[in-house]
Amino acid sequence: MHRRIVALLAGTAVALTACGGVQGGSAARDAAGFPTKPVELTVPSSAGGSSDLIGRAVARAVEKPLGTSVPVVNKPGANGAVGGKEVLGSSPDGHRLVMLFKSLMSITPLAVDDPDAIRFDQMTVVAPLTVEDYVLVVPAASPHRTVADLVGAGRLSYGTTGAGTGSQLAQALLFGAAKVDATDVPFDGGAPTITALLGSQVDAAVIQIAEAAPQVDAGALRPLAVFSEARIPFLKDVPTAKELGYDVVVDQRRFLAAPAGLAPEALATLQKAVATAQQDPRYTEFLEKNYISPWTDPADQVIPHLEAAKKGYADVIAASGITFKES
Amino acid sequence: MDVIGPALAGFSVAFEPANLLYCLLGVTLGMLVGVLPGLGPAATIAVLLPITYTIEPASAIIMLAGIFYGAQYGGTITSVLLRLPGEASTVVTAIDGYQMARNGRAGAALGIAAIGSFIGGTVAILGLTFLAPLVAGAALSFGPPEYTALAVLGILLVTTLGGGSVRASLLAAAIGLLLATVGRDPIVATERFTFGSDELADGIDFVVVAMGLFGIGEILFNLEQHRGTNPKPPPIGRAWPSRQDWRDARAAVGRGSVVGFVLGVLPGGGATMSSLVAYAVEKRRAKDPSRFGKGAIEGVAGPETANNAAATSSFIPLLTLGIPANGTMAIMFGALLLHGITPGPLLIGQHPDVFWGVIDSMYVGNLLLLIMSVPLIGIFVRVLAVRTAILAPLTVLITMIGVYTVRMSVFDMLAVAVFGVLGYLMKKVGLEPGPLVLAFVLGTLLETSFRQSMRIFHGDLAGFAGRPISGVLLGAVVVIVVVAALRRRSHRKTVDNDVLAVPGPTKEP
Amino acid sequence: MDQEQEEVQEEVQEQVTAPAGRSRTTAVAAVVSLAVGLLAGWTAWGMRVGTLSEPGPGLWPLVVSVVMVLSSVALLVAAGHATESDPFTRGSAVVLLGAVSLLAYAWAFERIGFEIPTALLLMLWLTVIGKEPLLTSLLVTVGATAAAYLLFVVALGVSLPRLIAF
Repeated sequence: MHRRIVALLAGTAVALTACGGVQGGSAARDAAGFPTKPVELTVPSSAGGSSDLIGRAVARAVEKPLGTSVPVVNKPGANGAVGGKEVLGSSPDGHRLVMLFKSLMSITPLAVDDPDAIRFDQMTVVAPLTVEDYVLVVPAASPHRTVADLVGAGRLSYGTTGAGTGSQLAQALLFGAAKVDATDVPFDGGAPTITALLGSQVDAAVIQIAEAAPQVDAGALRPLAVFSEARIPFLKDVPTAKELGYDVVVDQRRFLAAPAGLAPEALATLQKAVATAQQDPRYTEFLEKNYISPWTDPADQVIPHLEAAKKGYADVIAASGITFKES
Repeated sequence: MDVIGPALAGFSVAFEPANLLYCLLGVTLGMLVGVLPGLGPAATIAVLLPITYTIEPASAIIMLAGIFYGAQYGGTITSVLLRLPGEASTVVTAIDGYQMARNGRAGAALGIAAIGSFIGGTVAILGLTFLAPLVAGAALSFGPPEYTALAVLGILLVTTLGGGSVRASLLAAAIGLLLATVGRDPIVATERFTFGSDELADGIDFVVVAMGLFGIGEILFNLEQHRGTNPKPPPIGRAWPSRQDWRDARAAVGRGSVVGFVLGVLPGGGATMSSLVAYAVEKRRAKDPSRFGKGAIEGVAGPETANNAAATSSFIPLLTLGIPANGTMAIMFGALLLHGITPGPLLIGQHPDVFWGVIDSMYVGNLLLLIMSVPLIGIFVRVLAVRTAILAPLTVLITMIGVYTVRMSVFDMLAVAVFGVLGYLMKKVGLEPGPLVLAFVLGTLLETSFRQSMRIFHGDLAGFAGRPISGVLLGAVVVIVVVAALRRRSHRKTVDNDVLAVPGPTKEP
Repeated sequence: MDQEQEEVQEEVQEQVTAPAGRSRTTAVAAVVSLAVGLLAGWTAWGMRVGTLSEPGPGLWPLVVSVVMVLSSVALLVAAGHATESDPFTRGSAVVLLGAVSLLAYAWAFERIGFEIPTALLLMLWLTVIGKEPLLTSLLVTVGATAAAYLLFVVALGVSLPRLIAF
């Protein structure tokens, strides 16, 4: 008797499966008309960091022009490779986007061997988003007031926001050029790096300006140098590394990407919505308040920029003779 | 600096009718998602974040904090009734709380957890009010070497969990540490033990391990035990702790409050460590430690008080330093930023209303939880009256779907089934899941901070001894191990209390 | 009252507590974890252990493997006086059935939506494993499946794979 019921149910299952498609889940296939459901934005780093905040600001601004909700999903791991791979490996229906960063595409490959790293041909670039700059900071209690002080101190340890990040690259190049015996200590993102720095666990660290700003304002951290081409308005008394004689220019850029093969109509819809979102006064105010500049290049210039940066960094590393790759 | 005035002003914010409503909403919602395995408070807060854009920052944060609190308590309910710990900090509760429920004391366990949480929260808020700047500074002196020492101490305490033998717990902990290394290396991102699987590159999710080993493992084990019989459900008993329960537990609540407040301040792993330390303290202080693992009320009261106190004091680094202590705090950080408020050293001066509003809202949230729990516990414990034959499939169903919702992954569902079988096998051979799960949680912290320390020390192991806090902590580890070894030796001369080594059928000395 | 409660407690203890080691199964478990520990250690060695100042990805897994091997050996030594016989019984077949049903459930979940596998899983557990009367089982199955749908899909807005969409 029981068996018959089970068989009956199983029969119904087969019948129902034959007539209807499965909705929802991680592999929703229904792509007719876009968007047909919420568009999920994966931020491949932990909640609370600058990537997360930018992701949430974009998501909030893009909801209205896109006409659907845009939930943000945090998927941290391996500098963004984990979340990036997951989204880029999903079906290209436009309902899953990922915010990727320059460091993952241009710096990580120079530092970490990953035979399975994200490739440019796996993605459709939806839109460039932001440019952020890095600053070298020391704790307020540190005796060092200038970069010259710091590199003259002999052996030191420096915090980075992870292996293969701009934070690591900038310091490896700087301390490499200054021929200091310096050890990098990778942390998982900006917040733990700042924590370690505030507690003087490391002598110095390079973090993004937005992350450093509240601490610099409060006098808890002292900025020594920035890694942009020109001085930063917020830190106009802080010299660039270039002025100090170190040819180190490193920035972080973020962009939205979807899996390769995204339908042109869906891409156009998304790009239009993001363009509108970037004019949203709350979004622009958010960027200003956090010392973030918009990345104004057209979408098709994103990949060439990243490729050029990767080559440029590789050349500098080769020329400086430092060993950047995890030895 | 006057703290009383602004602190009281914060209460006037928290007690506004609209804010009370948001708080109630948050707490209720939190309790619901806490009861469902998988959907944690962090995910819920992230989902609700867009809704809060349109309301006042203080109200938004009050609601989100309510979710955080409610979820903590919801997790306790499933830990006690169904042995499903949804959060790392309630794993310890699942050990004695579940046994209490089997003994007809579910109401007492849940009640003491509610009371303990309220008291722990209160103590932590008082501490936060008067000691925040001091404690925040102390948190900063915890660098990678201190975390390494703390995690080592944690792993050691893990072996005191429950009623199993030390050897068995140690093996379980080692398995947990090994499982924690699956996935990308936290420092250089090399894939380890992933067998080329992308799902494993992320590492294994805590929820998968905990739900599988505890929940599913227990159900599979009971299937076999009760084969053919329809077991009597455990008695429901009183829906609230008795006077005697309170007398037994009040010292544990007091100690748990202090332990939780102190450890909760440490970013990363504070709440889990505090529940673990509170449990170990209670077991050590007990006249008869063998009651632990079999339904000792102190084993619920201490850790539950501690994790709630820790949850409150984890706001200290966020609000005074701008450093989120855990995933949920990180989302709160984001919520504040999106409302145009930057948590950091300057917050208390720039936005005292938000600072105290948030703090006081937690107080209100705890009070609401306590009031709500009086009628709710009576309802929740009725779950136990459901026949096992019906309750088991429903529990399995909620677990499977809940695990799927963590990251929409069928792989995780398969994994939870596999861990269920592992949990069943462990129970068959007398290994407890608690040490494995907690070692799994502490494993990543231990490895990361150890490797960071070695870089800071330029490879010199003696560096750990050269720093006051890590030196003292590691000294404590050594002392505990030596004392335990000596005590066992002297014991063995008279009565052998290592269960595994006893050849005969005697279980207790 | 206390006496009574203690009796209940002991009764329950006897029911739920596994034979605390001492058996052949403990020895088998120790041998299995010993083997896993050795294998993991060997794999970790191949991942580049590095040095203490520059620890590689393999160092920590290697340390853990060593701990695992040592504790397995300790357990094996302790279990050496095995007296009890194998506690696996015919009842273990139900466990196998339960576990396989969960795997099948997961397998079918995204393929045919969650409703039918859920109903099948519940029916199997209620009738075959739980020996509940048919009517009760059907009612519980329908009720629980609908409740799961309402709770997760409608109330919480979780995107479960499903056949029925609104």
